[in-house]
Amino acid sequence: MSRIVALALNTFREAIRNKVLYLLALFGVGLIVLSVPFSQGALHEQMRVTRDVGLAGIELFGVLIAVFVGVNLVYKEVDRKTVFALIPKPIHRYEFILGKFVGMLMTLAVMFAIMSALMAAVLSVQTEATNAPSNSAAIVRAIALLFCEVTVVTAIAVLFSSFSTPILSGAFTLGMAVVGHFTPELRELTARIGTVPSRIAIAGAMRLFPDLNLFYVSGAMVGGQRVTVHGSFVDWGYVGTAALYGAAYSGCALALAMIIFSRRDFV
Amino acid sequence: MSALVEADHLQKTFALGFFRKKVRAVEDVSFTVEQNEIFGFLGPNGAGKTTTLKMLMGLIFPSSGQARIFGKPINDRQAKRRLGFLPENPYFYDYLSGGELLDLMGRLFGLDRAARRKRAAMLLDRVGLGRAGDRALRKYSKGMLQRLGIAQALINDPELVVLDEPMSGLDPIGRKEIRDLIVDLKAEGKTVLFSTHILSDVELICDRVAMLVGGRMRDVGPLSKLLSPRLLHTEVVLEKDGASELLRVPPEADVDALLSEALAAGKHVVSVTPRRESLEDLFVREVDAADVGGGAERMKRDRTERKS
Repeated sequence: MSRIVALALNTFREAIRNKVLYLLALFGVGLIVLSVPFSQGALHEQMRVTRDVGLAGIELFGVLIAVFVGVNLVYKEVDRKTVFALIPKPIHRYEFILGKFVGMLMTLAVMFAIMSALMAAVLSVQTEATNAPSNSAAIVRAIALLFCEVTVVTAIAVLFSSFSTPILSGAFTLGMAVVGHFTPELRELTARIGTVPSRIAIAGAMRLFPDLNLFYVSGAMVGGQRVTVHGSFVDWGYVGTAALYGAAYSGCALALAMIIFSRRDFV
Repeated sequence: MSALVEADHLQKTFALGFFRKKVRAVEDVSFTVEQNEIFGFLGPNGAGKTTTLKMLMGLIFPSSGQARIFGKPINDRQAKRRLGFLPENPYFYDYLSGGELLDLMGRLFGLDRAARRKRAAMLLDRVGLGRAGDRALRKYSKGMLQRLGIAQALINDPELVVLDEPMSGLDPIGRKEIRDLIVDLKAEGKTVLFSTHILSDVELICDRVAMLVGGRMRDVGPLSKLLSPRLLHTEVVLEKDGASELLRVPPEADVDALLSEALAAGKHVVSVTPRRESLEDLFVREVDAADVGGGAERMKRDRTERKS
């Protein structure tokens, strides 16, 4: 465990010393701040915009950071040969993958904390001015769901990074993230085309893609009811179930990454 | 006590390119490294030295054959705890300082904070980086990175130290320092296995050598046994009126008679040196026998140019 922590802390240290990451985080922060002057109408409408834009910003930049940093996590270690000094140390190869993954999640957690704190600050100012309910509990649940989403995306990025170049890994990971956002529509579409065997095959193939719709549910129909962070939102039970799905999907992706990494020759 | 390193018929074949063309990098390599010896792994560039060491370090999987370290299979964690490794042309995280890198490596060995600090400070001093410990690695020269690589290989106070081309990138002073360090490690009871193509380093410090040419093991043993004791020729340097003359006298010729003649002709005898087989001669002989990629021809040409 201490070895995974050591590798995770090193990955975290690399990320926080990476200027590109600050640039991405700055864009996320900028988006939240700029949502205030650009939102029109009454103050409570501005709060809706702040919540929507804030959560969308956290999701967008969380996913972008997960993809662009994640696809380099393992590849860079092999390409720059830093892995040559690590593998002969008393670590298992799977610990290396886990360390990189946990370090990346630590980085994302800090990014999420910064962007969430900023959104909370903007919302608290707006709440004082309007006396409108802040819906902070719903926002916390929404942010927890978004963190589950970037965890899944990070695991996919690590999987591709364990055997492919950053460009290809980035394309594959982004592709899976995009498809993952349209899984219900795609399932509906594929259920209507082709023959029964082909439908079964396509439905099976669709299972390979993550169902990212589970994680950003504001405005969606859940259990026959429309849920939104502005009103009635999903409860912690839903968040727990979605987190379990995310953990299972991430676990499978990481297990595959570990198998691939454990068989690689480092030439 | 059994051998610390046992390589048994190691073989590695790589599949290269789009058509997965098979290239055999190492073929049937067997040797052992005994406790408390300095073992030189010698061979020209591309001989398969690094590939063999990478197989021993668990970085590359052998296509066939097997190896054991401390009597345990490669990648056994208990064996790795007693091992230090310097990769060829080491690359480290350039965003870390030298001290931070050693701290990370110490953590991977499970050293506590106090032990990590103590070992890091001691090792940085030992490799001559005492004042550069706080500097980011991106500001290190190649020689400094090489020294830091040796320091990180020693962070766990290993019983076996494996160094891949440890003198690479170092100036003559740096090379001597690393040679002295290797000898000191032996004096401390450690075992050192290092690869190199610099023959003088091997001649000066190795107890035994293995010679790898074209992926095949050519010779293994103590230098005294590998080198032929027979006289090759005697080099005689004579001088007259400020002009010097070098004579190579074959072993069957009478050197005494030649010297008498020279003295009678008014020449001064500057030196008389019997030449027996050197490591370089052996190396050329083995490369020649293997006839790998014109390596023997190239080496002979280099030697001729150097001598002239």
